[in-house]
Amino acid sequence: MEAGRTNDLPYIKRTKDGRINIKSGNKIDLVVKWTLIILSILTVMAFFFFNYIGLQWDRAIPETAHNLRVMFLEPALNHFSWGEAFYQVGITVGLGVLATVIGAVIALFLALMAAENLSRPWISKSIRAVVAVIRAVPTVLWVLIFAIAAGLGSEAAVLGMLFHSTAYLVKAFSEAFEEVDAGILEALRATGANWWHVVTHGVLPSTFTYILSWVFLRFEINFGVAVAMGAAAGAGGIGFELFMASGFYFDLREVGFITYAILIIAVVLEIISTQLKNRYFPASTNN
Amino acid sequence: MTLLQVKGLGKSYNSETQVLKNVDFEVNAGEFVSIIGPSGAGKSTLLRCINRMVEINEGKVIFDNADVGSLKKKELRKLRTNIGMVFQHYNLVPRLTVIENVLHGRFGYKTTMQGIMGRFTEEEKEHAFMLLKKLGIEDHAYKRCDQLSGGQQQRVGICRALIQEPKLVLCDEPIASLDPNSSKVIMDHLKSITTDMGITCLVNLHQVEVAQDYSDRIIGLRKGEIVFDGPSKLLHEDQINHIYGTELRELITV
Repeated sequence: MEAGRTNDLPYIKRTKDGRINIKSGNKIDLVVKWTLIILSILTVMAFFFFNYIGLQWDRAIPETAHNLRVMFLEPALNHFSWGEAFYQVGITVGLGVLATVIGAVIALFLALMAAENLSRPWISKSIRAVVAVIRAVPTVLWVLIFAIAAGLGSEAAVLGMLFHSTAYLVKAFSEAFEEVDAGILEALRATGANWWHVVTHGVLPSTFTYILSWVFLRFEINFGVAVAMGAAAGAGGIGFELFMASGFYFDLREVGFITYAILIIAVVLEIISTQLKNRYFPASTNN
Repeated sequence: MTLLQVKGLGKSYNSETQVLKNVDFEVNAGEFVSIIGPSGAGKSTLLRCINRMVEINEGKVIFDNADVGSLKKKELRKLRTNIGMVFQHYNLVPRLTVIENVLHGRFGYKTTMQGIMGRFTEEEKEHAFMLLKKLGIEDHAYKRCDQLSGGQQQRVGICRALIQEPKLVLCDEPIASLDPNSSKVIMDHLKSITTDMGITCLVNLHQVEVAQDYSDRIIGLRKGEIVFDGPSKLLHEDQINHIYGTELRELITV
């Protein structure tokens, strides 16, 4: 096409040098660009203001390397046995499972009330608002808040994780529910089905794979959080052993061993969830 | 016998545009009536006012001696069990099997608990298979609905409407997404619902010729008002032009 002909059309946006824009949001691009520039400048400047007193590069680097080598190349158990280690890992997995399963069940019902196509606007809006507030507070803080009532330990950890998991899953589930084709809901309502019928036979079958994926994802997150909670809230499990090994005994070999144990569990969980999804929901990509 | 009476029906979704204006007509039991009109004329809204999938603003709809507009929740469910509905996009649950989708038509007769547990009687299941056989898709009963072609899915949709044992079946552009062959199969089935089973049919159509071929009576809707209502043989070119606001030769007919 001749460039000259389109020159005078008013609806074509152009850059300063006369090239045609294909993005509509010029302002957004500009804001992103300036944010990146300012962040880069701040990062570079920060290096000049660090406190370097006492830092000896020639000692720091080799010793860190030495520590890492001891930790990850010579892992060993000194303060507890293999059986104990498995037991502690089991406790951590248990914390994660408990928080995820209970959270998922509660979230399922709340999400049905929070989905705009299944609920009244004011119910849906109020649940969303509450859930957003709960999600905005980190899990660790919820655990510490519940520790006031339940005391530091596994109860507070499960309650706190449950709280945050529920809020997270309510958002994920309700968005999945809202994706359900409005025609399906209309067709079922037109047969005289009531709300429960529509939910159990229209909405849940259509969104089951999404729900399962979100629960697995949340379980992986909860396993990680449960490790941290073992240390931070005294919930027990492998996280507590890790805290003892690193902060109490300064036993690098044991830290290495525990890290490997956690890594293996995480990989196994990932494999199981992928396998489950592939076996039972091969068609989870379509529709 | 008059099955359905629509009196002075008016509907608007917002204050600016009136979708339906003072719509008046009656449908007798056993009639096959087509509603034609351009897109946006209010055909779909009119159908949905009859089973109150949309709320009625003005006027009355009287179905089987019940005032549809004033029904309570429970009575409305009862009413809807008597009115089957067939959709342009079939609106089946794609991940469930054909037979499950057909049985969804029985929810109106179930209590909450029976529905949740999916408890259907043997008679209902046999009835479902009989209907599938009648529409020629009994082989696919245990297939997932998303594995069927459009024409087959629409037949499942018709089965779902028929298992309700309705007095009236509303069809919202049942053949608009289908090829000419499947369209003919679907229209033949719909026609046989009326002739063989005596169930009244109210069908929204885009294709004027299909409407003329199949229906006893045609209602022409334009900008929310009825501009033609009479036997299909009385629908002539100038009336069609009036309904669509064009010359006939400008219409692409299928």
